[in-house]
Amino acid sequence: MKDRRERVDISKVDDELTRRDLLRRAALGGIVLVYGGTGAKTAVAGVPKFRHRQHAGTLRIIQWSHFVPAYDRWFDDVYVKRWGDANDTEVRVDHVNLAELPSRAASEVAAQSGHDLFQFLSPPAAYEDRVIALNDVVQQVERKVGKISRVGRRSTYNPRTRKYFGFADNYVPDPVHYRADLWSEVGLRPTTWENIRRAAPRLKAMGNPIGIGMSNELDSNMALIALLQCFGAYIQSPDARITIRSKGTRDALNFMRDLYRRGMTSEVFAWTASSNNDAFLAGRLSLALNAISIARSAEQRNLRFNRDIRILPIPDGPGPRMGLEHVMGVYVIWKFAQNKRAAKKFLVDIGTQYTGHFLNSYFYNFPAFPGSVKRIPARLRRNTSYPNEVPGRYPILDQISKKWTTNVGHPGYSNAAIDEVFNKFIIPQMFARVARGDMSADEAMRAAHREMTPIFRKWRARRKI
Amino acid sequence: MRRRDSVLTYATVAPFAIVLAFPFYWMLMTALRADNDLYDIEQVPYKFNAGSPTSANFRFLFEQTDYRQWLQNTALVGLAVVVITLVLALPAGYALARLSGRAGQSLGVGIFLTYLVPPTLLFLPLSRVIAELNLSDRLWSLILVYPSFTVPFSIWLLMGFFKTIPPELEDAALVDGASRLGALARVVFPLSIPGILTVVIFTFSLVVNEFVYAITFISSSEVKTISAGVPTELIRGDVFYWGALMAATLIPAIPLALLYNLFLNRFIAGFTGGAFR
Repeated sequence: MKDRRERVDISKVDDELTRRDLLRRAALGGIVLVYGGTGAKTAVAGVPKFRHRQHAGTLRIIQWSHFVPAYDRWFDDVYVKRWGDANDTEVRVDHVNLAELPSRAASEVAAQSGHDLFQFLSPPAAYEDRVIALNDVVQQVERKVGKISRVGRRSTYNPRTRKYFGFADNYVPDPVHYRADLWSEVGLRPTTWENIRRAAPRLKAMGNPIGIGMSNELDSNMALIALLQCFGAYIQSPDARITIRSKGTRDALNFMRDLYRRGMTSEVFAWTASSNNDAFLAGRLSLALNAISIARSAEQRNLRFNRDIRILPIPDGPGPRMGLEHVMGVYVIWKFAQNKRAAKKFLVDIGTQYTGHFLNSYFYNFPAFPGSVKRIPARLRRNTSYPNEVPGRYPILDQISKKWTTNVGHPGYSNAAIDEVFNKFIIPQMFARVARGDMSADEAMRAAHREMTPIFRKWRARRKI
Repeated sequence: MRRRDSVLTYATVAPFAIVLAFPFYWMLMTALRADNDLYDIEQVPYKFNAGSPTSANFRFLFEQTDYRQWLQNTALVGLAVVVITLVLALPAGYALARLSGRAGQSLGVGIFLTYLVPPTLLFLPLSRVIAELNLSDRLWSLILVYPSFTVPFSIWLLMGFFKTIPPELEDAALVDGASRLGALARVVFPLSIPGILTVVIFTFSLVVNEFVYAITFISSSEVKTISAGVPTELIRGDVFYWGALMAATLIPAIPLALLYNLFLNRFIAGFTGGAFR
């Protein structure tokens, strides 16, 4: 990235530069720059479409800026290049911050133009009519490596229309992170929600509260829907009927209000996607639900309590012990995509052989097709090259991913109504209202039900659920 | 008495200055911190631990991201939009102030109202326009779209400013044989420098800050502006590179702050020019 352009020697500039001169020169410089830009290879003229082009076809992909920068480098510079050479296709990968994916997708759909492959990080069922069916891609991969995982299928398949609207290449387990040094002082482990409630007041008194968000962001959504499940409460039934008004929901809401008052701080109402990480890494939190980015960041920084960070499955509750995926990598191919054939081939290949992705993401991305990575437990036991990795920390992820991870919308599918409920953050708002004391559990439950009703009605009318 | 007034003035201004300057202080301290130091809440924001201050965050920006290119792109788009805005807003503002009578007033308010339509609503239809014009992923898309909000505001601002200039001055120039255009160029525009400067600075600031269009219309890293490139490269999932983020925002803030200070008096005159008319 070395800049070899000529530099202006400012020592030779006339000392008696007046303000008028300055403005005149700035204006002139601007015109030259803009005019020059039209002829340049980049800048105003844009990215050259055929730069270094050696292949017959072109494939454009957009996906998030991965939490592990090395994964993006490997994906862009190694995997994609090799795939492009093997398939005579020029592949261009663009990255975007995960929070910008929804607006980016909306704009591509509005423009009817954009990338051939668009990767979402949550099941984009609402876009079913805008994307091509990927049943054939899933079938091809299944023929090669075996069945798609339950979480993968339920996040990308619509049983009503019998269409795979997306292709799940990966999902990310969402374990509990806790500080063993702090919890040992309390004499408990966060294996059950009841243990968390019991330990919370002492942990908070020690200056290390529990950190479960109740705001409009991804982590809050995931943690609170998982909590509902652990109390036997669900947003919908298997046949996509709203079931949020239940004893389980009431119990979960009352539990959370109690936990908040005893062991959390009001920061959780202003939680952002990074709050879990920042507060935990600053040594403030005693517990958070998050993907392994917390543990990996602590390793990378070699924090003093790195070795005290432990990972556990979702805590047990009165209902079934069941957590959620943290993010779900789902590729779609827009109907307007220019190179559908190459896009499908890319998906078949990525779904068939996922070992490189699993390893280069340092166990962040788990394969949606379990057969595409062999010997996962053994690989998790082995150390990677990640700096200051704590041996034995990650084997539990295998159990978490297989036994305690399900899709958003469980026990039903991640359908369009669930997608909308998720993106409108109805669940975190319901919990926040009760925790803040704005509403009783019953009132908040009814309010959430009222908000969900038109959403489910709309998608039922559109024959998507 | 004079001394007491001065003390009173400083006592009034000081709290505001501290509150307004504190974010910049925080940015600077964060930008100079080593990564681990950021998470030592005993030290933040006043003290440094071992390893800080460091230039690591700045080096990271310039060596491991396309930050230099984003700066260049931002400057390019900013200058182009400033030129377009001036070319359109100067004659429009003058015409509405002088030539269109009472209708001009209503029209001016109407034009200003278009400025109030938020980009979060407009980006969807504009996406279609950009795609139809084959401008996706090019800086031209931003150069085309940004004047949609800089021009209305600038027209409204210049309209107020032109009204403060006595029409008799133009009449005198016309009597002396100048054309309407000559009177504009020789009399009105030189007197409107504070207003024009305000438009230049305001337009450039808007372009540097704009996010929605930048993130929507541009995909490739090498064509991004600062507002789109920084959050893409320095926010990875739920991990924020705070040090580099602060460094990245501090760098363009400094020349903008200097520019504001350099022309502060004229800038204030530009904004308040039409206030008493």
